Amino acid sequence: MSDALFRNEPVSSTPCVADGVSISLAAPLKRYSLRARTAEALETVLNAKVPQKIGATEGGIACLGPDEWFLRTAAETAMPTDTGLPVAITDISERSICLVVEGPRAAELLMTGCPLDFDNFAVGRATRTIYETVEIIIIREGEDRFHVEVWRSFAAWLWTAFTAAASH
Amino acid sequence: MSGYRLENGGRIDRSRPVEFSFDGNPYQGFAGDTLASALLANGISLFGRSFKYHRPRGIMAAGSEEPNALISVDRGAGRFTPNLRATGVEIHAGLNAFSQNRWPSLKRDFGAINDRLGMFFPAGFYNKTFMWPRSFWEKLYEPAIRKMAGLGDAPTQEDPDIYASTYAHCDLLIVGAGPAGIDAALEAMGSNKRIILIDEQDELGGGALADPALWPWLERSRKALIDAPNVTILTRTTAFGYYHDNFIGAVQRLTDHMPNNSDSPREKLWRVRAGEVVLAQGAIERPLVFDGNDTPGVMLSSAAKVFANRFGVAVGTSVALMTAHDSGWHDVFALVKAGVGIKAVIDVRTELSSALLDEASRLGINVYLNHSVTGVNGRHRVTSIQICNNDDFVGARIDCDTLLMAGGWTPSVHLWSHSKGSLAWRDDIGAYVPDQPNENARCVGACSGGWDFGSGMIVDVLPTPKDQSRIKAFVDFQNDVTAKDIKLAVREGFRSIEHIKRYTTNGMATDQGKTSNLNGLQIASTALAKPVTDIGLTSFRPPYTPQTFGALAAHAKGALFQPTRTTNIDGWAAENGAVFELVAQWRRARYFPKMGEDMHAAVNRECVAVRSSVGIFDASTLGKIEVVGPDAAEFLNRMYTNPWKALEPGRCRYGLLLKEDGFITDDGVSARLAPDRFHLTTTTGGAARVLNMMEDYLQTEWPDLDVWLTSTTEQYAVIALQGPNARKLLEPLVEGIDLSADAFPHMAIREGTICGIPTRLFRVSFTGELGFEINVPTAYGRAVWEHLMAEGAKFDITPYGTEAMHVLRAEKGFIIVGQDTDGTITPFDAGLDWAAGKKKPDFVGKRSMARPDIVAPGRKQLVGLLTDDPNVVLEEGAQIVADPRQPIPMTMIGHVTSSYWSETLGRSIAFALVAGGHEMMGGMLYIPMPGKTHEAKVSGMVFYDAEGARLHV
Repeated sequence: MSDALFRNEPVSSTPCVADGVSISLAAPLKRYSLRARTAEALETVLNAKVPQKIGATEGGIACLGPDEWFLRTAAETAMPTDTGLPVAITDISERSICLVVEGPRAAELLMTGCPLDFDNFAVGRATRTIYETVEIIIIREGEDRFHVEVWRSFAAWLWTAFTAAASH
Repeated sequence: MSGYRLENGGRIDRSRPVEFSFDGNPYQGFAGDTLASALLANGISLFGRSFKYHRPRGIMAAGSEEPNALISVDRGAGRFTPNLRATGVEIHAGLNAFSQNRWPSLKRDFGAINDRLGMFFPAGFYNKTFMWPRSFWEKLYEPAIRKMAGLGDAPTQEDPDIYASTYAHCDLLIVGAGPAGIDAALEAMGSNKRIILIDEQDELGGGALADPALWPWLERSRKALIDAPNVTILTRTTAFGYYHDNFIGAVQRLTDHMPNNSDSPREKLWRVRAGEVVLAQGAIERPLVFDGNDTPGVMLSSAAKVFANRFGVAVGTSVALMTAHDSGWHDVFALVKAGVGIKAVIDVRTELSSALLDEASRLGINVYLNHSVTGVNGRHRVTSIQICNNDDFVGARIDCDTLLMAGGWTPSVHLWSHSKGSLAWRDDIGAYVPDQPNENARCVGACSGGWDFGSGMIVDVLPTPKDQSRIKAFVDFQNDVTAKDIKLAVREGFRSIEHIKRYTTNGMATDQGKTSNLNGLQIASTALAKPVTDIGLTSFRPPYTPQTFGALAAHAKGALFQPTRTTNIDGWAAENGAVFELVAQWRRARYFPKMGEDMHAAVNRECVAVRSSVGIFDASTLGKIEVVGPDAAEFLNRMYTNPWKALEPGRCRYGLLLKEDGFITDDGVSARLAPDRFHLTTTTGGAARVLNMMEDYLQTEWPDLDVWLTSTTEQYAVIALQGPNARKLLEPLVEGIDLSADAFPHMAIREGTICGIPTRLFRVSFTGELGFEINVPTAYGRAVWEHLMAEGAKFDITPYGTEAMHVLRAEKGFIIVGQDTDGTITPFDAGLDWAAGKKKPDFVGKRSMARPDIVAPGRKQLVGLLTDDPNVVLEEGAQIVADPRQPIPMTMIGHVTSSYWSETLGRSIAFALVAGGHEMMGGMLYIPMPGKTHEAKVSGMVFYDAEGARLHV
């Protein structure tokens, strides 16, 4: 892509650092929605293993539902055409941004608006959920480190909500 | 004793005096006092005026069941809180509290005239009296009643405080930290359970706080619980509601007890999901029902003990007790021990344990068995009481300044009932107790009916020689309901307690019958001569005690009220003076006024620019769905009205989407990118609805189809370039796409790059001009936009907003679903039958299009309207009549759906839905508007370039 044209992000590139938790914008990623009748069909098209258990993550691919996976990667993935296989790959790289929520109070921050029980949410797990009324995908990257994927138009609201909750 | 403050005792910190004010007068209390205890210590007995009769009222209880002493606290501008219970307000330096529902002052209240006229205000008075004339209700009766009957003033300024909110999960939630709740926590503490212990007071202990013998145990327990890593203690926190699946709402009060307003949250809403819930809410003492039982100085016996033992306050200097229960005797013994002077104990019973009588005798207390209080003297404070023998009504007068009542105990089953746990009646205590749980929950301690207060007798109204219809014996103190009101309701034919409650207001509103429910039931039971269990029990509703709107709204105010969705180009629009409008959740640029321009001037200029050179428009909010899979074409063929299977890759088609009922629900232009890949567009507001509808069909009707839907609305920023110079502007910036008319015709899509950024380039037009819609990855939307603005300067490129877009599309006869349709419009009604595939065997809504009503004549149909006076722009929504001379009310045959001034045409244009409109071409219709009835000719809907010459260039 042209270096001459700038990316315009919906939230500040300066992290918000509060007591015990920081919130920052992750670097751009390629993102793909992977849909398939069976995991095997998807593996054939991707020529890679995909996790079979909902919520599990493997090689940057999270299984979000019975026929839905979410791939996040640095590299571009070809969108195969007319494979005849029951598989659909859609480029959603710029649909969302990723906020990195990090620190000993990271789970506490998410719990201010997300009804999940993070004591029972293992590292490596990914799920689509909500923060108050806004849909997000949470990926637990580490004990104290979460990736929160949010659609771009909701990102400014979520950033404001996170930073407000972090300051409390 | 100094004043009413006892020399010793209590948990207050006597080394820390606290200055505060009540009704503008300065007072002093101690750290640890509530407003109630501090004012009682200062000899204050009058706290407020009652809801309906404006009767003087004092403190009745010591906890959150207090029905009388509702006060307001003013913490500065916008920080005014009405209707707080004085028993729950902790004093702090500078506390500024006020009494309520009185004018001009608490002691001299004009509204007290209601009390004299009480006989004219029986139960159901409002319903009976103020019905006619009907028109008087809103203007006269209701405002007058609201002024007279009421609680504190509602705040009028914006609340500057902030409120926090969180979810929490635990294995065990304990509500109530009295001895039973603390025991439950101690018992579970050693497990690996996550425990949350909630209590509404400022410190743990509940009833134990009024029992000095338990303080050493309490301190040990408190330390143990604080040290336990798996126990979270939330004091000053009220569990106000119990919802499905052990979901409990609680509000924690964080700063109200502190002297200064702070920037940290005032309250925090806890939304707790618990594995198991243990309710240890305790029991509430029941008042006794007798004439004058609401006089200031008459209070619950247990409250007097709390004030003495916890706060070191004597509620009076000469105290009498009216009791029907052993617990009153124990309270009086404790008061004697604390140094409070006891004048007499009157017990309605004839027989009771000799231990109580012996102890009373030992303490030198006068005892009257088989006696009742029949009257209370004193207006702002008890001065004496009348008592009578229950059998011969021989009476006596006892001088005292305080009368305690002990009517037995009511287990607090509010939260249990929220959870739909069942209740069982216990005759021995005259109360309902928890029975079968509906959730994983149990009750412990006094709220389960298990207590050691001794026994008592259940009396509905104390015996009296007085005419029962002339006495004021209160049942519900907060709602001013007397025993005779309940009896009146029964006489007037009400049989169920649900109806009696609503007719009399007993147990309603913020109080939720904490002190009144059981007495009300007993009185109704006697009046109906039926057992209590036969007349039902009213529902307890959340909240247990009133909570602030602020806590419930939490973050959802100001910028966080609701997400306002913005596009990648929104910032540019804001910087360039756009006037915005909200479309669904989106903020969209409506027009871009230049210096001095009003909306019409700006819109006219923007429209002319598009028609004469080139306009640029942010269309990013259009809904987009990527439909991918081997069965993609088959799926769309079934969803849309028109054929999709034969559409070639690289071409676009207008898609019309119906609901099952045959009515238009959405439309949009969609493109086939590959045999198994489509790029759909929907309306801005319809994006989520259309995706849901398609998913619904896919998952429930055709799960066999191998096709998947992905929302790509936010994957692409969309820039519409429209106008005769659009191609010229685009050509040097695009690579990999031949833009020539032959290679890239109208209604086609190509993939390539623009300014080096990958693009899905549509050649489509919603304006009737040569047009392109540039889809680029969203992050680059603004950069590409700015590049086009810079390069387009030589064509005088003009940004335009949604208003000009509306005008331009109307000139071309393009409808907007939701504006020109209303959910009852078929493709035929809208003149879009060309888009409904006649040969297709089926599509969503096809069957409904043959329904008799759908093919009947006289349906409302979409037509164009041209006003006789070209300068008149009709009002959107204006009604249409066929004959303006018909008598009023006229028959309205339709309405104007879209109406604009068209600068291009030099006249106004409009669309309208008109009954049988398609048959009226060339006819005249009439549109009555303020001041004048306008005449308009029915026309086709395409007002400009009907042959489409400007498109195909």
